[in-house]
Amino acid sequence: MGEAYKINHQLQLITAIKDNNSIALKEFYTSNYPKVEALILKNSGSQEHAKDVYQEAFISMWNNVRNELFTPQNDSALQGYLYQIAKNKWMDVLRSKRFKTTQSLTEERTLFLKQDDTIEEDTYDEKLNITMTAFKDLGQPCKDLLKTFYFEKKSLREIALHLNIEETSVRNKKYRCMEKLRAIVLASKS
Amino acid sequence: MKDNSNISQELLETIERYYNDTMSKQERLDFELRLDESPEFRTQVEDIKTLILGIENQSLKEQLDVFHKDIPTTHSETPMASGVFTFRKLAAAVVILLAVTGFWWFSTPQNDKLYSKYFTPDPGLPTTMSSHSNYDFYEAMVNYKQGDYQTAIAKWDAIQPKNDTLNYFLGVAYLADKNETKAIGFLNEATQNTDFPLLNDAYYYLGLAYLKDGNIDFAKKNLQKSSNENSKKLLEKLN
Repeated sequence: MGEAYKINHQLQLITAIKDNNSIALKEFYTSNYPKVEALILKNSGSQEHAKDVYQEAFISMWNNVRNELFTPQNDSALQGYLYQIAKNKWMDVLRSKRFKTTQSLTEERTLFLKQDDTIEEDTYDEKLNITMTAFKDLGQPCKDLLKTFYFEKKSLREIALHLNIEETSVRNKKYRCMEKLRAIVLASKS
Repeated sequence: MKDNSNISQELLETIERYYNDTMSKQERLDFELRLDESPEFRTQVEDIKTLILGIENQSLKEQLDVFHKDIPTTHSETPMASGVFTFRKLAAAVVILLAVTGFWWFSTPQNDKLYSKYFTPDPGLPTTMSSHSNYDFYEAMVNYKQGDYQTAIAKWDAIQPKNDTLNYFLGVAYLADKNETKAIGFLNEATQNTDFPLLNDAYYYLGLAYLKDGNIDFAKKNLQKSSNENSKKLLEKLN
């Protein structure tokens, strides 16, 4: 029962992450940071580097979990996975620094370096980045509404109760906000 | 993204249902057929999906900055000072930990100790978003898994008629909620049917409930009926 319970705990953690359960996300975020920070500080990075790399890794982990690209094999699998992504990302940073100072790479060495790239690059990275920037700069009321609905996964009724307005007007507002966001994305693309 | 392809409110909400996996079987089939047939529709769906994903990614990113403020800074500027500081902190933590566990160890009776050592709530059944039958049951399962036992109990209690699985989870939830008397009632019900797939676990938790209640004889009796690994270990300790 012990092993099953642990794996099940991982599955629960994964469900919580998929649901964007903020308590679970925070707990997972804060408890895994020190190890990554230690790694980066030990390998010529600063605390600022550690934070950036860790957050990037965390977001990748989150996306991969949601796209079912990750299945737990043991009780600390997701923790290890997050650490591995962060480690790979930090190696990328170190390498790019080295690229600037080193002139030539032998074919062998390029091949060797390539082998470490286990984490797939997101294909629609660019599209996503444009949308993220657009959302970042969206007006606060729209931003709050869309965040509560899509990220926190609150129902229209809950939002209506909270804002003390009709459910239909929340629904319409949400649609108009999406149109606004879409317009910004379209404008920044052309 | 094509700006001439207008997306209606209705289409947006349909795509949301698809994305959240809350479509009925028929609606999903129709939707996927349309996806297959119309490249334009496919682009619209992709666009909306990217928008939602962008919102979620950016929201998370901003959330992480908030989380980050709550991480205690362990490294100060000078390495020497930080070393001494962490050593002191560590020493203090060890002293406090020893004091607390020592106090706990000497102040709780033996059976309670065994109970706490062996009791972990049943991990529960997997819940998927698309299960339509038994919706109420699985909705409560979500509360249960989040540790909100009282809500889970209230929801499960409202379901009629009761079956083995329901009685079992009600029992475990009551036990986790520290109400062993109620737990014993439901777990006793759950062990009535000898074909119940979770029978071993039911006897195990029933034994634990009796242990918590201070009824060692009944605890042993029920643990003996369970072929669970932990039941055997716990029995050895009790004997």
